[in-house]
Amino acid sequence: MNWTYWLPLLVVLTSLVPGVIIFALPEGRVVTRTVLNLTGAVLKIALVWLMMREVYAERNPEFRMPLVQDVDLLLRADALALLFVSLSAFLWLLTTIYAIAYLERSPNRGRFFGFFSICVSATVGIGLAGNLLTFVFFYELLTLSTYPLVVHRGTEASLQAGRVYLRYTIAGGALLLTGAVWLQAAVGPVLFDGGDTLARADLDAAPLVAIFVLLVAGLGVKAALVPLHSWLPVAMVAPAPVSALLHAVAVVKAGAFGIVRVVYDVYGIRLTDAIGVAGPLAVLASITILYGSVQALRQTDLKKRLAYSTVSQVSYITLGVTILGASATIGGIVHLVHQGLMKITLFFCAGNIAETLQVHRIDELDGMGARMPWTMAAFTIAAFGMMGVPPMAGFVTKWYLGLGALEASQPWVIGVLVGSTLLNAAYFLPILHRAWFRRPVTPFPVRRGRLETHWALLMPPLVTAAAALFAGLFASAPPSPLEWARLIAERAYE
Amino acid sequence: MISDALTALPWIAAVSWPMLVAMGLASSRARGVALALAPWAALPALVLAVAAPAPADLPWLLLGARFELDDIGRVFLMFTATLWLSAGVYARQYLDGAPAAHRFFAFFLVAMAGNVGLIAAGDAVLFYTCFALMSFASYGVIVHTGDREALHAGRVYITLVIVGELLIFAGLLSWAGFTGGTRLIGWTATAAQIPGPLVTGLLLVGFGIKAGAVPLHVWLPLAHPVAPTPASAVLSGAMIKAGLLGWIRFLPLGEAASPDLAFWCMAGGLGAAFGGAVAGVLQDNPKVTLAYSSISQMGLMTVAIGAGLAAPEAWPLLLPAVVLYATHHALAKGALFLGAGIAQHPGRSAGARRAMTAGLVLPALAIAGAPFTSGALAKLALKDALPPVGGALALLLSIAAIGSTLLMVRFVSLALASGVGSRSGARAGMWIPWALLTTAGAVLALGPRGIAGLPEMAPSLEPGVIWSLSWPVAAGLVLYWTARRLWPRARSEPRVPPGDVLWVATRPFATFRVPVAGARTSPALPGAVMEPLARAWSELTSLEKGLTRWYTTGLALLLLLVALTMVVGR
Repeated sequence: MNWTYWLPLLVVLTSLVPGVIIFALPEGRVVTRTVLNLTGAVLKIALVWLMMREVYAERNPEFRMPLVQDVDLLLRADALALLFVSLSAFLWLLTTIYAIAYLERSPNRGRFFGFFSICVSATVGIGLAGNLLTFVFFYELLTLSTYPLVVHRGTEASLQAGRVYLRYTIAGGALLLTGAVWLQAAVGPVLFDGGDTLARADLDAAPLVAIFVLLVAGLGVKAALVPLHSWLPVAMVAPAPVSALLHAVAVVKAGAFGIVRVVYDVYGIRLTDAIGVAGPLAVLASITILYGSVQALRQTDLKKRLAYSTVSQVSYITLGVTILGASATIGGIVHLVHQGLMKITLFFCAGNIAETLQVHRIDELDGMGARMPWTMAAFTIAAFGMMGVPPMAGFVTKWYLGLGALEASQPWVIGVLVGSTLLNAAYFLPILHRAWFRRPVTPFPVRRGRLETHWALLMPPLVTAAAALFAGLFASAPPSPLEWARLIAERAYE
Repeated sequence: MISDALTALPWIAAVSWPMLVAMGLASSRARGVALALAPWAALPALVLAVAAPAPADLPWLLLGARFELDDIGRVFLMFTATLWLSAGVYARQYLDGAPAAHRFFAFFLVAMAGNVGLIAAGDAVLFYTCFALMSFASYGVIVHTGDREALHAGRVYITLVIVGELLIFAGLLSWAGFTGGTRLIGWTATAAQIPGPLVTGLLLVGFGIKAGAVPLHVWLPLAHPVAPTPASAVLSGAMIKAGLLGWIRFLPLGEAASPDLAFWCMAGGLGAAFGGAVAGVLQDNPKVTLAYSSISQMGLMTVAIGAGLAAPEAWPLLLPAVVLYATHHALAKGALFLGAGIAQHPGRSAGARRAMTAGLVLPALAIAGAPFTSGALAKLALKDALPPVGGALALLLSIAAIGSTLLMVRFVSLALASGVGSRSGARAGMWIPWALLTTAGAVLALGPRGIAGLPEMAPSLEPGVIWSLSWPVAAGLVLYWTARRLWPRARSEPRVPPGDVLWVATRPFATFRVPVAGARTSPALPGAVMEPLARAWSELTSLEKGLTRWYTTGLALLLLLVALTMVVGR
């Protein structure tokens, strides 16, 4: 047995084990907890790097553990998994640093970081899941481990948000489980193998469509597809690092990633096309893109606006996979990473502004650029990225989605992209204008210390903003998300 | 590998050097050095234009970028870099001691980098990237003073930038999708693969916003008076030419004819040429008059583009004429703007005043197309190239020259009047770049010989030619004199609000705000329009609230399950 056999499991354990230990630690052991968190995060990145090299050489590491008859716990690293897992590992490290500073001197940090670690383990598990039931297992674990994070503050509003969150996600989980069990009953273990299992089973179209709808409806709750999105803007009462992770990589992205898996690896491109479910899903994704942006435009609270923007942006991924073509696939998959980098930057920045100056509303942002120049610079890069202005990462997504739409002879998609860009500009540019070109209505409190805020709050958004810029500016340089997405598309369409 | 890096170096330097200096301006510690370097940041671009090194491929940049200068690009880069250099030196003096000078320069330099980059670009994505960089950075230059007019101009400008970006994005994407590549130079052989006029139309309108094509010109007369003078010079001289270059690069000129678009292009161009002259004469701010002159002059270039779309066989002659026209206009208009700034501070020395007047009249004559100026050469080249399309156009060009003359007389008198009562004099830092641009225009008037991309021409001494150039100028002068007799005092003159059609189009919306929660709305529109709007907006709130209620979604899921069971049960 090769040492790489254990790699997928180890990647999951590097956050699961610290999480469990943190639960056992007394609240006051700040240093131990921090060391555990950071060691786990750095170790995970190192392991993901090793795994990436294996996958690049087409030696996909695979860990299998039989649970009951016909049901294996299967963790397998393929190119798509690695894209998601490396994003999670990278952003987890930054968010941990951010959260340590953000929650400094607040109560219940042990509980917070414990669930935080489990949440990331679940995310990584979702990424590495090699069959449908393993996926469902980690998907449910994610739901349960996120709830304590959403209600962390314990206020009435956050408890209410937690209730809404649970109702939606548990219902979604139930649908997903129904679909998964039905499929397992019909064809046996469902591997993520590009649709070979289903193609061999030769089922009727009707149950195939029914199962597809169940799976996508279940995943669509987390992916915030309209009309299943309403929990997301409510859940933004959570602390900033939670919102950041939720919107960038953990929950919302898990749903979108699930849809990618269902289309490419459960049904496969050919079968998805044959049963005619891609078109309606593409329309639904387009509606979500536009509806989310319109709602974002109506918000006066910064975090709420960002939340609705997520509803819109995540559906670019769904749109990309349902157009069915190599370029559109690249555009959709690469947006898994691009949206993550840009949105986490925006939430980090919103958190900085709220934490440093207690500013939450958009009309209070006048003159923020002079008071917090680095934070607003990061925000600006990410906001332009969301609009899809080159050379930021969002442009690469839009370019490939548009090319894919043309290849697939669906030019209406370009209309959706243009409409979405217009709305994005309408709700991001006024923020930038206020921050950089207006004077504050009442002067901000003078800043203490050399930096505009705690260094650990400032560094993560700067790193992610730089990443969002470089992912676009150097899109064709080999370790870029785009090149990795091209690799995935090549292997999916070969 | 190393030799690749070396070929790429001059290209990267020309684009990234201004950006580096801009970054230096942002840091309070490096600001002093950066401010000293800022005026000269266009030098690497000028070197690039002169040296025109071999094309460089940068596979790691963007989606695989390429830098390349053909003859046309080289001429564009030459006048663009000259203009930015002059404006930069001028701005250093113009904003000397102003508290926000570093902020102005930061935006100025980023816009410069974009302008240089888009000319040097050899692929569509790099072009589009630099175009966006230039367009967005210019916003900071336009709203620099931060007063009400500037913010209003900025809002109009940025709205049109966004609309332009969207049209160009959709157009470029389709262009790349259909032609199967992103190379800018030599793609026209595949022009036939672009179906219908839609793609070309998107690009035509998208770049038309930047080029100030009617009716998308409304940002120009608003932005020019509020921006600091050196910024207006580059906006009008260099940046609107980026729209023209966009047309030259992306329209299937010389390859495929598209009669419909050609018609609209020529109609819009003529509308701009004449309408701009009328609206510009009825202004009382010299910089607004210059803005309308730019609209009018760009209109003539638009006519040439339209002629190229109508008759591909005429394009080989039209192209050098258009490039010459752009060069002439860039230098002359830049000189006029810089001169307008100096005219506000003429100083007390009579010699300086005389030099100033001469320096205003010379480029003004060039714009009017008087004989022995660069404008005369440009007009002659354009007239020579037009006949295959239609002789009437050449006559219209002569009539347009009357309008140009009117505009220029109006401008010179307004500019000279603006300095009355001022005692301070402009300093060398402003005189020298102005003199440089005026001289460059005068040199161009001797005839561009041996510059690839421009037509081989020399000033003509034939009486017929001189007459054809002189009579429109004379007619313009007579017309202006007559009008002065009709309206002897400034108060009795008719007026057009800057931004003309925008003013008409937006007046009903003047007080309209998107109703957000808690904001007060005071509709100026009739209730029949406003009420459904407001209702639809509040419907969105109740829709979203309804979706948030658990039972709606629960019910929907339940129905879904029942439906599925029925489907499968059959």
